[in-house]
Amino acid sequence: MMHQAPTDMTVAAAGPRAGQGYLSLQGLTKRYHDFLAVEAIDLDVAQGEFVALLGPSGCGKTTTLRMIAGLVPTSGGRIVVAGQDLTAVPPHKRDMGLVFQSYALFPHMTIAQNVAFGLEMRRLPRMEIAARVAEAVAMVRLEGREDRRPAQLSGGQQQRVALARALVVRPSILLFDEPLSNLDAKLREEMRSEIREIQQRLGTTALFVTHDQDEALTMSDRIVVMSHGRIEQIGRPEDLYERPATPFVARFVGRTNRFTGNAHGTTIRLGDLAVRAATQRSGPVEVMIRPHRVALAAAGCVPADGLNSVTGIVRRTTYSGDFVQYLVDADGLTFMVEEATVGHGRIAPAGTAVTLTWAPADTLVYEAAP
Amino acid sequence: MTAAAISKVSGRDADFGAAPIALMLLVPITIVNLIGFVLPVANLAILSVSEVRSSGAMTGGWSMAKWLLVATDPFYWELLWNSVRTSLVITALTLAVSYPIALYLHRSTGLWRNALLVMVISPLLLSAVVRTYGWIAILSDQGLVNQGLMALGASEPVRLMFNLTGVTIGLTEILMPYMIVALLAGLGRLDPRVEEAAATLGAPPWRVFVRIVLPLSLPGIALGSLLTFVLAISSFITPKLLGGGRVFLLATEVYDQAMVTLDWPLAATLSIIVLLVFGVALALYGRILRSIG
Amino acid sequence: MDERPISPILKILAAVGFLFLLAPVLIVVPLSFSGEVFMAFPPESWSLRWYAAIAENEKMLAAFLFSLKLATAVTAVNLFVAVPAAYALVRLAPRGGDAMMGFFTAPLLLPSIVLGLAMLIVFSRAGLLATPQGMFVAHLVVTLPYTLRVIATALSTLPIAVEEAAATLGASPVTVFRRVTLPMMVPGMIAAGSLSFLVSFDEVVLSLFMSGPRLSTLPVEMYNHVENRADPLVAAVSVLLVVFTLVAVVVVDRSLGLAKTFVR
Repeated sequence: MMHQAPTDMTVAAAGPRAGQGYLSLQGLTKRYHDFLAVEAIDLDVAQGEFVALLGPSGCGKTTTLRMIAGLVPTSGGRIVVAGQDLTAVPPHKRDMGLVFQSYALFPHMTIAQNVAFGLEMRRLPRMEIAARVAEAVAMVRLEGREDRRPAQLSGGQQQRVALARALVVRPSILLFDEPLSNLDAKLREEMRSEIREIQQRLGTTALFVTHDQDEALTMSDRIVVMSHGRIEQIGRPEDLYERPATPFVARFVGRTNRFTGNAHGTTIRLGDLAVRAATQRSGPVEVMIRPHRVALAAAGCVPADGLNSVTGIVRRTTYSGDFVQYLVDADGLTFMVEEATVGHGRIAPAGTAVTLTWAPADTLVYEAAP
Repeated sequence: MTAAAISKVSGRDADFGAAPIALMLLVPITIVNLIGFVLPVANLAILSVSEVRSSGAMTGGWSMAKWLLVATDPFYWELLWNSVRTSLVITALTLAVSYPIALYLHRSTGLWRNALLVMVISPLLLSAVVRTYGWIAILSDQGLVNQGLMALGASEPVRLMFNLTGVTIGLTEILMPYMIVALLAGLGRLDPRVEEAAATLGAPPWRVFVRIVLPLSLPGIALGSLLTFVLAISSFITPKLLGGGRVFLLATEVYDQAMVTLDWPLAATLSIIVLLVFGVALALYGRILRSIG
Repeated sequence: MDERPISPILKILAAVGFLFLLAPVLIVVPLSFSGEVFMAFPPESWSLRWYAAIAENEKMLAAFLFSLKLATAVTAVNLFVAVPAAYALVRLAPRGGDAMMGFFTAPLLLPSIVLGLAMLIVFSRAGLLATPQGMFVAHLVVTLPYTLRVIATALSTLPIAVEEAAATLGASPVTVFRRVTLPMMVPGMIAAGSLSFLVSFDEVVLSLFMSGPRLSTLPVEMYNHVENRADPLVAAVSVLLVVFTLVAVVVVDRSLGLAKTFVR
């Protein structure tokens, strides 16, 4: 099924042209017996770029990463790095750094030995190994813990060792396989900025697998959204959020109101309601409206010209610190509306009659799924 | 499970032409198994239906003579029945004594549990000769039990050895560790929170046991019973020493025919019968396991 | 986990069960210090004469030394055969790996009386009866399943990601095995080695079939002694064996964990 972008605006997806990336995946495919885990993926990543592979579990993102690392043999397609075809190269000759979800530190080696391992494999002189290990350990702020064993460190410290171990070999590409999902929420946010900072400082190309949209949105130059082994959309965080290419992306990234209706030109009938969109369409459609794009005003307020406007009653109000979420019943539909909390904080309680307004460009219209 | 997870479990991910290496690594163990296991066992099966001269040499022809002998001589039928019955009694006794131990072990925690586990497993690894010897010291006429009874005024010792009673007591104890380990593995499936849930729903302890613990431990009971039965019917060290040559069971007869009478074809035939009883027990176990669900 | 109260009835039943289970092992300890010529309990006098008697019993000593050598050789060869096999079955996961595992552990399922007889017949024809070689093969066959299973269990619980990490850092498959997999397998190998040593050292059924007038193992010699004479000599030997077994069990527990090795 083909989805079309909701607006005629060209999505400004930065990034290299097809086949021209520093890392280039061309028709990459993985088949397990009858099951297509990854289906002909094309992706180009520029040198120094930080790209997230985002999707629900089972979408093929980890399999893709493991194919790039050489841990999973491909069933089809090519993996090219800096113009070199690596598809058939075994993992130990690929020169990549992989940071695992489970850290995967060597339990029988000290921190320093863990970090030195990749350098030893590259047969570097002892002096240089010592210098680079010290540098890498300092970079992840673990000085003084070089002689500890992994089991003596906390989860966050272990993950920093794993990062240092992958970074110290100066890999062509740094791969992350959900590295933060075993950490608690506060540590996770610290590690996000730490990883991003180090990656930018070193200018390393990075591919980051995650199922956490916040992680992807806050860390990446570009995000690749995957579902059922295929790419749904590639774009900058703001593109994905404001202009989701498919209903899947709209649902997966951020919260959304979802309706089905019938389009006639720019007018769409949602049950008894008629709303306007910025694009022409006809026939059955799926409509998405971001809750924070809808403004809430007291009933009877006259909306500015050209805005969609709906009246309804607040059914439930949920206060969650930085924003207030309302569920509003209007003409048989329920709208989710989110307003940032402001200083004077007028919060409409349940039962309040309200008018909802939003711009036609914020009515995202998709061809209805068959 | 995702495909990635499946491949992680199977480990086949690293498969860049690993199959030939895998086969190479398996060559030594295959050779040992073929020479030390497959060849002798196949030979045993063949021997039981081979024609044999009185000198013991095979003529190369086939003969059902030993099978006919075993089938027509009531001694062997009685032997079979005795062995099966004794093994069943031993299995029941072993289960009865082992279940509380397994349940207690399952409920205990930490160092204490580990110490108890050592006490259960050590006998498993201690030679049957040592433990049978211990039973002789307990059950013989000059043993612990009879000396105790005499001290209490009994006029003559109770015969606890050189009969089926002694063999049953000894084997029950010797097979206990196997039963306990099987029961423990079965109880591993029992989430203590399920028991707690039943208790909070108002079930008194004995009903929690009957309605929750016992049904959930049935697979362990089945496995432990199979194991105990099978080991009981094939044991001969304990029956030999505690039976003193006066208790006749399938396994002791196999040994006697092989080492004393030197009638190897008959020994082979009897040992195949042991295997057939095994097969029946295994089939029964499979049916029971299926009916438990 | 929080402590759950255990009902007193269960405690009593379990205590009685444990007493029954340990009775024959416990009784040999005082018996070994008997000063009597015959086995009787309780002994009327105490002494160390039966421990001294072990040292004077040449057959028992020879059997003990042979058992020791046999178990050592069997354990060493076991590890050499089982480690590659376990690695192949667990890590390389060839097609039909489960069936192969079943085949390799099958000698464990066969009653040792049947296996002993089967070996007796074949080995007598090959002239291996009552030879160290024949004894060695018999012990190898029965200990390998234990070793293979314990090492395979240990290996399958090692996280594969650690080996993958080594590969992505530039280690070739051979280097990964040598620098990462093998060191991480050491606890499993210690457990498997102790177990195979103990199984070989205590094996009696196969050894009975394989032994002869000039070659026997310690358990066989003990069996023969018990069958012919009722004196406390075997009690003294038993106590030594009990201590020996306990040490091995504790080693297994420390290296891999008893529950993991036996209760799967």
